[in-house]
Amino acid sequence: MSKPKVASDWMAGCAGCHMSLLDMDERIAKIVELVDLRSTPITDLKHPDESGVDVGILEGGINNTSNEEVAKMMRKRCKILVALGDCAVFGGVPAMRNFFTIEETLRRAYVETESTDAEGKIPDDPELARPTRVRAVHEVVPVDIFVPGCPPDADTIFYVLSELAQGRKPVLKDDKLHWH
Amino acid sequence: MITLTIDDQKVEVPEGTTVLNAARKAGIHIPTLCDHPHLKPYGGCRLCMVEIEGFRTLQASCTIPATNNMVVRTTSDQIRKARKFVLTLIFSERNHFCPYCQVSGSDCELQNAAYGEGMTHWPLQPNWQPYPVDASHPYFILEHNRCILCRRCIRACSELVGANTLGVEERGAKTFVIADLNVPLGESSCVSCGMCVQVCPTGALIDRRSAYRGQNTTVDHLQTICAGCSVGCGLDILTRDQQLIRIDGNWDAPVNQGVTCKVGRFYPAFDDRERLKTPLVRKNGALQPVSWEEALMTAAQKIKAASGHGLAALASTRLPVESLHLFRQLFLDDLHSEMVTSTEEGSRTAILSRWAEKLGKPFEGKVERMHEAGAFLVMGADLVNEHEVLGFFIRRRFPEPIKLIVVDENENGLGDLAHCALTPQKKTQATLLRGLIAAVAKLGQNQVAFNGQPDEEVLKASSACGVASDLILEAAYQLTNSESPLIVYDPATIDDEIMQLLLDLSQTTGSALLSVKGGANALAAAQLGLDKPFKLNGSQVAYVAIGDEEPKEKFIQQLEKCSSLIVQASYHSRLTAMADVVLPVVNWLEQDGHYINLEGRMQTATQVLKPADSIWTNEAVLTALAEKLDVNLANDWESTLSKRPSPVSIAA
Repeated sequence: MSKPKVASDWMAGCAGCHMSLLDMDERIAKIVELVDLRSTPITDLKHPDESGVDVGILEGGINNTSNEEVAKMMRKRCKILVALGDCAVFGGVPAMRNFFTIEETLRRAYVETESTDAEGKIPDDPELARPTRVRAVHEVVPVDIFVPGCPPDADTIFYVLSELAQGRKPVLKDDKLHWH
Repeated sequence: MITLTIDDQKVEVPEGTTVLNAARKAGIHIPTLCDHPHLKPYGGCRLCMVEIEGFRTLQASCTIPATNNMVVRTTSDQIRKARKFVLTLIFSERNHFCPYCQVSGSDCELQNAAYGEGMTHWPLQPNWQPYPVDASHPYFILEHNRCILCRRCIRACSELVGANTLGVEERGAKTFVIADLNVPLGESSCVSCGMCVQVCPTGALIDRRSAYRGQNTTVDHLQTICAGCSVGCGLDILTRDQQLIRIDGNWDAPVNQGVTCKVGRFYPAFDDRERLKTPLVRKNGALQPVSWEEALMTAAQKIKAASGHGLAALASTRLPVESLHLFRQLFLDDLHSEMVTSTEEGSRTAILSRWAEKLGKPFEGKVERMHEAGAFLVMGADLVNEHEVLGFFIRRRFPEPIKLIVVDENENGLGDLAHCALTPQKKTQATLLRGLIAAVAKLGQNQVAFNGQPDEEVLKASSACGVASDLILEAAYQLTNSESPLIVYDPATIDDEIMQLLLDLSQTTGSALLSVKGGANALAAAQLGLDKPFKLNGSQVAYVAIGDEEPKEKFIQQLEKCSSLIVQASYHSRLTAMADVVLPVVNWLEQDGHYINLEGRMQTATQVLKPADSIWTNEAVLTALAEKLDVNLANDWESTLSKRPSPVSIAA
């Protein structure tokens, strides 16, 4: 049996969940033995294989049209989709902005911040992704496995990946279940 | 007793027990949110649903009484589905984002419940409506975004405290916890007891000082006794790395059963006074840090030099009995100072000690009586501003058919609540009490023979004190027509004549008496004879063991006149600023010792925080000082306490 293919990507997050993944230290070698690690934001290959992967991992919520594309592409190309971390699972810290309108948040970020001079303006290049309300991944595409945590512990990520690599569905409970 | 089966386990419980409590007795866990062991069952959150044979639908186990032969299941697919659904709806209603909540980690009962059901995500996302945050209160914040409308705060406010400040407005998802008629908490009738914060299951009520500073899994819990007043509430002190984090009422404390007031809960954490860290001696006009040896030598010299010029000694009633006893031995028994007293000055206890001696036996009852009394007569006691917990104990009984009679020459905080508020003209309290005793006789309810004409006496009293005779009769009726009536009075407001009348009234109505005593150890100070009004009387040297008490202005003014002042204190104050020797001591959280509360209950205070090395206990300072003065102090405080008759029986 060939090794299961795994791809990951990140969206509206802080990269912390991927850092936590690396935090499993030498166990990452074990994971690489068990799986065929394909595209990730921290390796050369950036997009999951068109031919598909077995496991897709998404970090971060979905806060613009570009994120939507990333999520949809991953969903299309993977068999099992994992939402990794509080942002992907709930919306997380970026979702704090949902308490304001998008106009308010853009104005605050690009015009009103104390370090912005009089030239400050909200970027309006049509090439740019359009910001949206911050959504959890499962609000945009169906998710198979939720791994909450801000970030999830390296132990939890190792458990999830090793279970998936061995064809089992990980069940998060007790020590492995944390939302923050 | 009835027997029911829960998860195939037979459980025997008294009739009236809820299914939830029966399950708890059997060691079976049912998740709950709105339920609280010290509040009445409410049935609001629906998390505790169980299957009961013969019932068409799931039932809330917290409100349904167990019946004989009932068969209950607490885990099934249907139940787990229902619990998850309940939690899903709660999470979707407001903004329960854990990463930036101060209770996330171990203190949030909502989060724990979700973990318990293995919830990895929210099936329904919230609708992102921001809710207001009420930060108008000085001690805590009401964060509506985290509120799950379990109403524990509201129930605590009424059931435990009787303040009835918190309530709700609107219905359904629009329901909102409000103070009074929807005013900011800081401007409301809130008494700042903080019980709502103590019972809140989520991060909706946030203690300003403890927020983000540690959780149950990271703090130490130690129990001690509040030194705020003579009620002596048991407190649960949360500390972390020798820092005070938060104070809660101790649910297991017999006196207060979890309830406490702002003095116990918030004042210590908000105490911004500057701590004394080293012994100080005045040199060339300024206080200089010195060694303990030098400070004690200087103090001893000044005390020795006092012979002939008079020595006055004053101790705080916040000190433990052990300290007060050493203080008495040193200054009264050995140095024979004329003025050895406490900061309470016997203002409340002196009259009580006098009557205890006269009667030769205790004549007051217990705080417990407040939980069963059918009628209260509050005379002169301000239970709204002092001894607040006693006020809570009366106010929270109001849903029951109790009667409250208030007798006060001045405006009384409980007056508005009273069924009968009697406001006699100044200096006519005795006449009014005579009228009340006569009225009891007129109603034929007197348990002691009455000599005289009750009708005439009532009318005479009525016209003399300016209280309608109907009102006097009404009060007498309420007092005599209730089970276990209780008279709560403030001895500071009475004289011997009134004391005699109070005893007569209590006898003829079968009422118990209970009085407030003032400082935490005011009664102990009285038993040790430290109960004289403080007067310098020309003494040139004064020794003040003020401990962590804030010195009153009247003492400072008197003490300004002496030429040598030695102060044993925890904090800088105007008193220490004018002292010649300052000896730094522990505060109430840093000491072991005993306190005797207003009902004579001997309670043990336990050291919660470790003081700095340069700070000594009050006992250590007094012992070391005695050594310098070649005096041997004994440790027989328990026998000394019982030498003087006491108004209440003193026991552990």
